[in-house]
Amino acid sequence: MFEADEELIGRVVRQLRRPVTVDANLDARVMEQIARLPARPAGGTTRATWHWLTRPRTVRLSPLSALAIAAVFVAVVLSRPDRLSHPASTGAREFSFVVVAPRAATVSLVGDFNDWDAARTPMQRAGKQASVWTAVLPLTPGRYRYAFLVDGVSWLADPAAPAARDDEFGTPSSVVTVGGS
Amino acid sequence: MTVYWRRLGSGLVAATLVAGTAAAQRPDSRLERLDSITRPIVAALVDSARAAALPTEPLVQRALEGATKRATADRIVAAVRGLALDLGHARHALGPTASPPELTAAAAALRAGAPAATLTELRRVRRASLIVPLAVLTDLVASGVPVDSAAAAVLSLAANARDTDLVEFRRAVERDIALGAPPASATAAAVANAAVQVNAGARQQRPGRP
Repeated sequence: MFEADEELIGRVVRQLRRPVTVDANLDARVMEQIARLPARPAGGTTRATWHWLTRPRTVRLSPLSALAIAAVFVAVVLSRPDRLSHPASTGAREFSFVVVAPRAATVSLVGDFNDWDAARTPMQRAGKQASVWTAVLPLTPGRYRYAFLVDGVSWLADPAAPAARDDEFGTPSSVVTVGGS
Repeated sequence: MTVYWRRLGSGLVAATLVAGTAAAQRPDSRLERLDSITRPIVAALVDSARAAALPTEPLVQRALEGATKRATADRIVAAVRGLALDLGHARHALGPTASPPELTAAAAALRAGAPAATLTELRRVRRASLIVPLAVLTDLVASGVPVDSAAAAVLSLAANARDTDLVEFRRAVERDIALGAPPASATAAAVANAAVQVNAGARQQRPGRP
């Protein structure tokens, strides 16, 4: 039994050691077979791409990686310095500001809602030659200090609104409060 | 692949730390409107407020108001510093759950002379936002109503009144004062009237006006 196995192994070894002769036309015949294959249909790349994009797959993330991605998102949002200076449209109510300035050439509405930037919210005349100036702004709930700047030099408080009590800068300001209910 | 995700995670953590540090250290570009003396002081006050988890936007706005009104550096710094202190006191009175707009309104109420205990009591009795009750309290005091009367009036209405009810109440007081009524009497009368309307469920929506 043992010798029969050795004989079998010997035959296999001898067979494997026989030199193999490869047909010289092998390459040509293989390429010919490939050429006979049906051509890839048009749009195959697009279809493959679409398949790659839509194929469901499992993405594995460690909790640390997920936390890092969330932290990057939060950092990007929080790093915007002007994120609170422009009232968001969500939950905002439109407020109409009105002032009478008969001899004014320009009137600006400035306050906590526009970074106290006189160029941000120029008021419009209610009509040609009219002395009433108006501006409409969306405001989210909060308490805002504001004033009217006439001709770039004169500060006016809103006579129709509560006065700002804590006015440290020596010019009048008013207060608008936006509630949520 | 696992090594790839670990590297990606580590990279994201590092990027977060760098971005967070840079964002915290980068001064608000709007403060460039301040002069070179005022800017670093205000920036330091803003950073301190941020470290104390206080809202910084009111501080920036107060500094910008001073810059636009061409106030001196001393005035701007004093205003920002005073507001930062008031915001800290406001949070102490309202608790850590107060929103930034609530803290801003509470700071104004404290500056007007409202006792901190009144703010704490308001927080206790009212589930809804405190922005309008605090603003009405401040505005009443600004109109000449004694602080005690204003605080008692707002506290009596705050539990059930909606924001619109409170704004209407404030208008009624200001109207009566303008007609010559003593502020305390005008407040008492308006409280009685507002209480009846609140209890009757009167809901009159007014267009937005300051």
